[in-house]
Amino acid sequence: MNWRAIRAIVVRDLMLVMRARAVFLPLIVVPVLLFVLMPAAAVIAIRAGGEALEEFGPLLEVLPPQITDALGGGPLERQILVYLLEYQFATFFLIVPIMVCAVIAADSFAGEKERKTLEALLYSPTSDRELYLAKLLGPLAAAIGVSIVSWALYVVAVNLLAGDDIGHLVAVSPLWLLILVWLGPAVGALAISVLVVVSARVRGFQEAYQLGGVIVLPVVALVVAQLAGLLVLDVRLAAALGAIVWAIAGAVLLIASRGFRRERLLRQV
Amino acid sequence: MTATPALEASGLTRRFGEVTALEDVSFSIPAGQVVGLLGHNGAGKTTTIRLLNGLLSPSSGSARTLGRDPWEEGPAVRARSGVLTETPSLDERMTAREALRFWAELWNVPREEVTGRIDDLLERFELAGRADDRVGGYSRGMRQRLALARTLLHDPPLLFLDEPTAALDPIASINVRDMVRSLAAGHERTILICTHNLAEAQELCDRVIILRRGRIVADGTPSQVTDAASIPIGVEIEVDPDHADDARRIAAARASGGATAAGPGLVRVEGLAREAVPALVAELVATGAAVYRVSPEQVTLEAAYVALYGDAEGEAEA
Repeated sequence: MNWRAIRAIVVRDLMLVMRARAVFLPLIVVPVLLFVLMPAAAVIAIRAGGEALEEFGPLLEVLPPQITDALGGGPLERQILVYLLEYQFATFFLIVPIMVCAVIAADSFAGEKERKTLEALLYSPTSDRELYLAKLLGPLAAAIGVSIVSWALYVVAVNLLAGDDIGHLVAVSPLWLLILVWLGPAVGALAISVLVVVSARVRGFQEAYQLGGVIVLPVVALVVAQLAGLLVLDVRLAAALGAIVWAIAGAVLLIASRGFRRERLLRQV
Repeated sequence: MTATPALEASGLTRRFGEVTALEDVSFSIPAGQVVGLLGHNGAGKTTTIRLLNGLLSPSSGSARTLGRDPWEEGPAVRARSGVLTETPSLDERMTAREALRFWAELWNVPREEVTGRIDDLLERFELAGRADDRVGGYSRGMRQRLALARTLLHDPPLLFLDEPTAALDPIASINVRDMVRSLAAGHERTILICTHNLAEAQELCDRVIILRRGRIVADGTPSQVTDAASIPIGVEIEVDPDHADDARRIAAARASGGATAAGPGLVRVEGLAREAVPALVAELVATGAAVYRVSPEQVTLEAAYVALYGDAEGEAEA
């Protein structure tokens, strides 16, 4: 493997993303919105909730016993805060790797085609496999990086806002660790796989990004299911989901790699 | 021992579905030669470059680039070749220096040499003053120069230049041609130039290969190709004035365009086959004429190309 070339392509792809405002902006805005402003609004709303918080009672009652235990009892306001900040936002968090991977993969695959820079890359002394790997690693590395920064922002924000009420560190747990290093990268890889397939069929970045956006739907379904009390993303579910998503992403990426051949890519030049 | 040719093709054929882009193409190009690959759009020039760099596999036949099979050993072949693509293929969001650094990494240029080589190329291609500006703000000529610098970054012994002066203004074209000439100097590099500019090909190339609908219709030095085209030419003959009328009459019988007096002892002949010139001169001498000067017109590659394409069209239709 020509790791020097792979690294160069990864660094260049990320540099190009940083220099395109339309591409780069969502990478800043979404984490700040989801993991600083939204939790802050949630904490403020819960504190001001008063009697309206009673409506959350039935939701907490249907939670699995291990989650109820983890909420740790105490006032309803505290339990709701723990549930929201520890568990509900954990599902929101999956949006970050999906969004990052979708944006960067769309720019890297479809954007390269749109900018007409693909041909020169095809004449480089890389193999098809190295080129494909480089194109996959860029978005995935960025997704892990942005996820870690988003998580750090979230930890600081929620513990400053609600740490005293809850009495222990929020979002510093095996579940969040698993999301950061296992489930998050898995959904990111799935997003990349979808974008690889989509990018081969579209003309440019916007089209690829919009079509690839459908990948966020399973996460939305997960968020809604958890809000409805149908399931809770705990350590076991996160581990199992991660394994399933990695398997699907791996299979799609493997199939898509057959299309990532110079002969086929030339048709897009 | 025979030196390995830089480029070889043997019965090289490439089909895209029903369309045959290249058919039974064979050639051998020794190292150090500058070869023009000429032909209309769709004649198979770019397909040839792609096949020789392992971007496409042949449908049949074989190719060898610098002694290697480009399809089996693509990365090794591309590591030693530089390709100037028809469009510069540059990232507008990068500066020239960043772009060259990226390509240096990709071509595994020794780390300690990267900065020096980039500075040299920026200087050589007159881009040093704008090296840290983004490519998006470059003129077409600057982009073409940067793309040319990219192809030389790893000092390849083999260059493929696809339309190096297409869409450039005359001054930029002259500059690029000068650069190509300097790259060819010393016969240290093999250069394959695809161009529609036949004057450029005649000026720069040791040899030209003309493709038509994927087949080679001519292959040789520019003068061999022009000679082979058998184009009737104009000839000016100066004889002693006493034999001027005889000369005009004899020449007119051999030339399709006739012959006219162009001054005392001067005869202008039109439409004479080049190979008929020696016989004409011999006949004039046999009549006792003193032949002082015979000036056949030079056939341009452009005229030969048009003639060859015309012949090929005729053959295809026949």
